[in-house]
Amino acid sequence: MERAFASKVAKRAFYTVCVLFLASYVGTRFFTHIDLALYGYMVGTVVFIGGFLYRFSAWADRPPTKIILKKGLRLLLRKSTPQTAVEHLATYRFIWNRGWYRWTQHILLGWGCILSALVTFPLVFGWMYFTMGDNGTYTVVAMGVDVLKVKADGWIAFLFYNALNITAFMVIAGVCMALYRRLKNMQARAEQNFLYDFLPLYLLLFVSITGLLLTASNLFLHGFGHPVMSLIHQFLVIVTLIYLPFGKLAHIPFRPMSVFARNYREHYAEQEMKLCKVCQTGFVSAEQSGDVVDVLGENGIRFEMAEGFHLAELCLPCRRKYRIFRFTGIPTHYRSEKEANQHAKG
Amino acid sequence: MAKQVLYIEMDNCIGCRSCLAACTQCGGHDNRNRNYVMDVDPLQTRQTIPLMCLHCVNPACARSCPAQAIQIADNGAVLSALVEKCIGCQNCTIACPYGIPKFDQEQNLMYKCDLCYDRSKEGIPPMCASVCPTNTLQWITESELAEKQAVHKLAGGKWLASQRPEPLEGETNVKISLPGILQGVQKLF
Repeated sequence: MERAFASKVAKRAFYTVCVLFLASYVGTRFFTHIDLALYGYMVGTVVFIGGFLYRFSAWADRPPTKIILKKGLRLLLRKSTPQTAVEHLATYRFIWNRGWYRWTQHILLGWGCILSALVTFPLVFGWMYFTMGDNGTYTVVAMGVDVLKVKADGWIAFLFYNALNITAFMVIAGVCMALYRRLKNMQARAEQNFLYDFLPLYLLLFVSITGLLLTASNLFLHGFGHPVMSLIHQFLVIVTLIYLPFGKLAHIPFRPMSVFARNYREHYAEQEMKLCKVCQTGFVSAEQSGDVVDVLGENGIRFEMAEGFHLAELCLPCRRKYRIFRFTGIPTHYRSEKEANQHAKG
Repeated sequence: MAKQVLYIEMDNCIGCRSCLAACTQCGGHDNRNRNYVMDVDPLQTRQTIPLMCLHCVNPACARSCPAQAIQIADNGAVLSALVEKCIGCQNCTIACPYGIPKFDQEQNLMYKCDLCYDRSKEGIPPMCASVCPTNTLQWITESELAEKQAVHKLAGGKWLASQRPEPLEGETNVKISLPGILQGVQKLF
């Protein structure tokens, strides 16, 4: 079976498309409820999966990534995983600590995009659709199962109809905040470039605006220009999807790694701490110290010193003192004097 | 514009820590310094040495980063972790041979010297070099660097007044000069 595929990417792509196909088969009640208006998005998504797997596989084959992925998956059932996952992936607590402005912007953008995806992908693949058995009542069908009956003029139905309008406003607000920051913040201005930092923002902005224009066309113009606008919207969405794995937006699918990394650090720190070869204080888990030594070795970087330790086995203050020793010949790292305060107050 | 490099003449350092203070004021450094001033022989002498990211040509931090968050700029500066990519594993702090990267637990983010990329990419010296009162940290062109290094070669290369490469792990974009004299047997410190 291993030899049936030309590469890992091919294998992953094949299985992913199979799973999608099966899910659609079940979800659409054996292909009886496909929304063909969304056909273009389906093709776009399959292309996106190809690109994503290509990017993901190239990335996952790097030695450090491989280690975190493998050990992170193994530790996924840790007790702290739900809390870490919520803080890292849902409430963005660490971004709050970087500032309220960036947090607000990220909540609007992040949840605007996630909610939109949660609405559109099930509709595209037929995992969710609506039927109207009795007049005035919609039945929500998820994965081929009737899950909910809602009044067509009720507030839940209102939220269903307008979900993408609401998320569009969230995304537009978030994009505007992000663009304002990119125009005003000096550090951002120094490092940003058009393709990496601005293009994803513009894509999200245009997707949201054209999406809202579809609603506007329905509400105020009796559907004038709807066919053209829906094609433009579709084109922009597909471009965004195809671009996603290769630009800044790639951090969306890759972000769960931060949960892996936290679990990895916490779990192995509980197991055994690495004692600094000079001062004997634990500074990192023994596992991580060993992993870093291995990864550096795979990259042809060897920091074995004549004294018989690898630099990754020294705590940070000792490592700095050791470097000064290499400059001056005075072995201060074997003395007990603490490093002077290194934190200036700005 | 000729390519400019950061050059550290370590014996000039008087321990004023202006470089630390200036570092906090660089745009995006968020009022926190990213460099170090180390004592050469604490309780014995007042001599200090500035220690900062030397911007390795083959940076161990970037090699060990699982998220590819540490990028290398066109001028050789090894940038601080990209905020959206850094996953907070701290591999870089363990990998760095000089113990330079700092980590913010609250923000789940590594930060390190980026050679004040907003300044240095325009040819403006990094904050630390622009404030250093004793010319310990210098921002010089490569030809000026070659001149300085030529002075260190004495008697047609028979003697070396500064041990340049040996004390480092691999080639770096930041150049250093140590006051070692006479083939490293004796130091001025």
